[in-house]
Amino acid sequence: MSGTLRFFSQRRSLRRLSFYFALSALLCLALADIEISAPDPGRELRLMLAGLFSPRIADLTQWLDATLTTVAFALQGVTLAAALGLVLSAFYQRPWARRLAAGLRSVHEVFWALIFIQVFGFTALTGVLAITLPFCGTIAKVFGEQLEEIDQRPASAVSPGRGGISHFCYTRLPLALHAMRNYTAYRMECAIRSSVVLGFIGLPTIGFHLETALRTGEYSAASALLLTVLALVYSLRFWFRTRWLLVLVPTAFIARPVAAEWHGANLMRFLWECVPAPLRQDWPLEKTQRWLGWLGEQVLAGTWNTVLLAQVALVLTALFALLASPLNSSHFVSGWARRAGDGVLLVLRSLPEYLLNFIFLIVLGPSMLPAALAMTLHNGAIIGHLLGRHSDEMPAPPVPAGPLGRFAYFYVPTLYQRFLAYCFYRWEIIIRETAVLGVLGIPTLGFYIDSAFQFMRFDVAILLIGVNAALILAADWLSRRLRRQFLLAPPLARPALQVESAAYRRPLPGA
Amino acid sequence: MTIAIELRDCDLSYPAPHTDQPEQLALHIGHLAIREGDHIALLGRSGSGKSTLLRHLRSQLPYAASWCPQESSLVPQLKAFHNIYAGGLDRYSGLANLKTLFLPSAGRKAEIGEIATALGIDELLWRKTDELSGGQQQRVAVARALYQRKPLLLADEPVSALDRQQGEQVLTHLLGQHTTAVVALHHADLGLRTCNRVIGLKDRQIQFDTPVDQLHEDALRRLYQ
Amino acid sequence: MRYLFALLAMLVSLGSIAADNQRPQFTFTAIPDQNEAELVRRFQQVADYLSAELDVDVNYMPVKSYPAAITAFRNNQVQLAWFGGLSGVQARRAVPGSEAIAQGYEDQFFKTYFIAHASAGLQPAEALTDTLRGKTFTFGSKGSTSGRLMPEFHLREAFGKAPGEIFSRVGFSGDHSRTIALVQSGAYQVGAVNYAVWEKAVDNGEVNPDQVSVIWTTPPYADYQWTVRGDIDRQLGAGFKQRLTRALLQLENDSILQAFPRSRFVPADNSVYRAIEETATAIGLLDEF
Repeated sequence: MSGTLRFFSQRRSLRRLSFYFALSALLCLALADIEISAPDPGRELRLMLAGLFSPRIADLTQWLDATLTTVAFALQGVTLAAALGLVLSAFYQRPWARRLAAGLRSVHEVFWALIFIQVFGFTALTGVLAITLPFCGTIAKVFGEQLEEIDQRPASAVSPGRGGISHFCYTRLPLALHAMRNYTAYRMECAIRSSVVLGFIGLPTIGFHLETALRTGEYSAASALLLTVLALVYSLRFWFRTRWLLVLVPTAFIARPVAAEWHGANLMRFLWECVPAPLRQDWPLEKTQRWLGWLGEQVLAGTWNTVLLAQVALVLTALFALLASPLNSSHFVSGWARRAGDGVLLVLRSLPEYLLNFIFLIVLGPSMLPAALAMTLHNGAIIGHLLGRHSDEMPAPPVPAGPLGRFAYFYVPTLYQRFLAYCFYRWEIIIRETAVLGVLGIPTLGFYIDSAFQFMRFDVAILLIGVNAALILAADWLSRRLRRQFLLAPPLARPALQVESAAYRRPLPGA
Repeated sequence: MTIAIELRDCDLSYPAPHTDQPEQLALHIGHLAIREGDHIALLGRSGSGKSTLLRHLRSQLPYAASWCPQESSLVPQLKAFHNIYAGGLDRYSGLANLKTLFLPSAGRKAEIGEIATALGIDELLWRKTDELSGGQQQRVAVARALYQRKPLLLADEPVSALDRQQGEQVLTHLLGQHTTAVVALHHADLGLRTCNRVIGLKDRQIQFDTPVDQLHEDALRRLYQ
Repeated sequence: MRYLFALLAMLVSLGSIAADNQRPQFTFTAIPDQNEAELVRRFQQVADYLSAELDVDVNYMPVKSYPAAITAFRNNQVQLAWFGGLSGVQARRAVPGSEAIAQGYEDQFFKTYFIAHASAGLQPAEALTDTLRGKTFTFGSKGSTSGRLMPEFHLREAFGKAPGEIFSRVGFSGDHSRTIALVQSGAYQVGAVNYAVWEKAVDNGEVNPDQVSVIWTTPPYADYQWTVRGDIDRQLGAGFKQRLTRALLQLENDSILQAFPRSRFVPADNSVYRAIEETATAIGLLDEF
C-alpha cells in the first residue's frame, strides 16, 4: 500500500503533470479534425481479411531479393551507426557532440532518404546512409549517457588520465559494453522497420512491394510481406548475436556493397537548388513576397496540424500503453498467456504505422483519427512492452487483491514515474512519425515536405525539414526539462532513453 | 637527502557530496616533507584523513606516483591481465594498447607474469576480475600499481583484504619496488614492521611524525583512543 | 563451417560483379500509375523489344513515385521514360534538351472521370455543378496529370476557387486504383480518376456499379508520352534517338500494345504539351508565384 500512499501524497506534482497533459490533449482533440465519415468499409475489409489468411508470394526471387536487401540495409546501417555513435559518445560531454547527435536524429530517416535520393539515386548508399545518420544520433545519445553512468573509479585508479583512446578502451568502454550491446540489439529491431519504411519511397526493400500491394489492393501479397517483416523482427533474438555478426556483417558489406554511381554534378546541382528560389533566381520583391506568403502558410498550417496530431497521439498512446502493459507483465499473465500477450504487442509494434493508417482510413474515413490511432497502437505497444517487462522486477503486491485492484492500487502507482518517463521519451518520436504520416489529406509538415519533393522544390523541402527538426528539438528540450523537474528521484534521474535500453533485454537461453 | 614533496600550511577537505554544500575540513598540515627513500606508514582511525592526504599528494604529483586505491576499482569485464596492463597504458602508444587488448605480445605477458608470480596470482591472469575473490582482486590492484613503475608509491590500505602473513609479504614486496612510498594502513604493527617512518593522524592534525624506531608505544595508544 | 559460409557469400558477390556486362547500357523507367506486377510485365516486353531492335542492353527500372521517375531521369539513371503529361513537362524542364518523341494514339485525347459514391446522391451531368460543394473529394497522386492537374484545373474553372474551398475535405490517395477503393468504400464521396484505369477496373469486375459511378468527364487533353534525354546520342552513339523513335513508332506487337493499353504509338514533340505546362503554371504547380 505504500506505493499507493506515495502516489497520492508525495507525487501530487506528477498527477498535476499528467492532468495538464490530458487537458492539452482534450483541447487538441476539440480542435483537431476527428470526424468519422459514414463509410462503407465492408468490402475492402473483407478483402483485407481474406488476403491476410491467404498469404501468397507472387515472385520468389523478387521476395528473396527484397528480404535480403531489407536485412542488409538494416544490418549495415546499424553497424555503421553503432560505430560512429560510439565515437561520438566518447565526446558526449562536449556540447558540439550533443548538438550534432540531436541534429542528426531530429530528421526522420524518410526525409534523409528523400534528400540522398536526389544525389545518389535509389542505391544502397542512400538506404544505408538514411538509416545510419539518424540512428547514429540516437545511439550516440544513449551510449553517451551509458558512459556517464558507469563506475568512474577504475578510470581514476589507473592514471590521472591523459584521457586518450587507450584509457577509454581499458577503463570505460568495457564497463558500458553490455548495456551498449543490449541497446544495439533493440536498435536493430527499429532498423528493420525503418528499412521496410524506406521501401515505401522507392528503395528496393520489402516496403517497396508492400506499398504496391497495399496501394493496389493485393492483400494476399501484402499479407505474405507483412509476415516476412514479423518473422524478421522476431527472429532477431536468435541470430543478432556477436558470434553470428562476425560472419554476417562482413558478408553483408561484401555481398551488398554500399555503393552508388553518382556524379559531383548532381550533388552540386542539388546543393544549388537548396538555395531558396528568390535568392537563386533573383526574383523581384513582389514575387518574393508571394512566395514567402505561400511558404509561411505551409509552415503555419503544417506546424499546427503536426502539433495537434502529435498531442492527441501522445495521450492516446499513454492510455493504450498503460492498459496494454499487463499483457506482458508477470503480475497478470504467465506461461502461454504471457507469450501470447507479448506476441500481440510485438505484432502491433512491428506493423508499419503506414499500414495501420490505411486500415483505419478505410474504416473511419479521412481525418486525423486514422493517423492518431495508428501511432497509438504502434507506440503504445512499445511502451506497454517495456513497462510490462519492467514490472517483472517489482515485488509481489503486499496485499492480496483481484486483478483490477492490483492494477489500480499497486501496478499503476508503482510504475507511474517510469511510465511518464517513457512517454516523454516517445514524445519526440511521435512528432517525428507524425510528419511521415502526413499523407492522405492530413496536412502535417510531412505533407508539405512530400509536396515539395514532388515538385522538385528542394529549397522549400529543406526549409520545411528544418522547421520540423526544430519542432522535434523543442519537444526534446521540453521533455528533458519536465523530466528533470518532475521525475528527479534517484532511479529516474537517469534519462528515459537509458531506462528504455536497460529494460530491453533479450531472453538469453542458458543464461 | 632529496625531498620528493613538501607541504606547508595546507587545509585539506573532503570532497563535498553535493556541489552546493560547503566542503568539510578534514586535515590541517603545518609542515610535511617526504624525502626520497622514506617508506611512510600513515596511521590513524578511519576518518582521520589518511585517504584525504593521499589524494592530495596524488594531485600534486599526477604523473610521478603509482597509485593503489582503497577499493580495488578494477574493470570487472576485463581479465586480470588487462587490468594490470592498464597501469602501464601511458608507456605505450594507443595502437599498441589496442593490440594488447586482443593479442598481448610475449614481452608484455612475461613482464606481467613476473609481477603476478611475485604476488601469487599468476594462475588468475586470464580470468575476468569479477570471478575473483576480494583478496585476489586486491592483489590484482597491487600488481596494477606495480606495473605503473613510478619511483613513488601512494597506496591506500593496499592489503586490507589479505590475511596477516600474506599481507605483510605483499606489502614488503610492494615497498621493495619503490624508492619512496606513502601507505595508509589499518594495522599499526604491519606498518611498524615494514616501513621506516610513521605518521599518525588524529583530530585533523598530524599527531606524530617519527622514524619507526623512535616511536613511543604511548603515542600509538593515544592515536587509537 | 563459418568460414565456408563467408567464402560462399564472397564468391556469390564476386560472380555478380563479374556478370556486369560489356554492351552499352540503356535504361528506361515509367511513372507508376498502377499495379506494379502489371507495369513490370508491360515494360519488360518493351525492354525485350527495344533490345532486339536497337542491339543494346535495355533495362526497365521500376520506381515508386512520380518524382522518383523524374529524379532518375534527371540524374541520368535512365535515359528514356514513359511519363504522364505533367511529369513529362517537369522532367523536360529539369533536363534541358530532352524531348517528347512519341505518345500513344489514345493519349492525344485523354480524359479524367469524376466518380462518386452512391450515398453522395450525385447524378451524371454535362458540367460540374454546385451539388459538388461541401462534399469530400480525393485526387490521385499529387503529381499526376489525370488524377490531379486536369481535375484541379477544371474545378478552378467551374467554381473560380481552390479545391480546398469547394469541398469540405480534399485528399491525395496517391494512386488511381486507390482512389477507386477509397471512393467505393465511401471514405471519400467523390474522386478523380484516370479513365483507362477506371475502365480496366470495371472490366475486371473490381467496381460495384451500385456503389460508385462516373458523374462527369473532362474535355480531352494530351497525356502520356515517351521522353528521351537530349544527350542520348552522345551516350549511345550518333543517330540513336532517331532509331529509338522509329522503333517505338513501328511497334506493332499486339501483346505489348494491349498491355498499355494503346492501339499504337504516334509521333509527338514538346509543343504538344504546351497546354499542359500552361495549365500547371496557372494553378501554381510549377515554379511561378
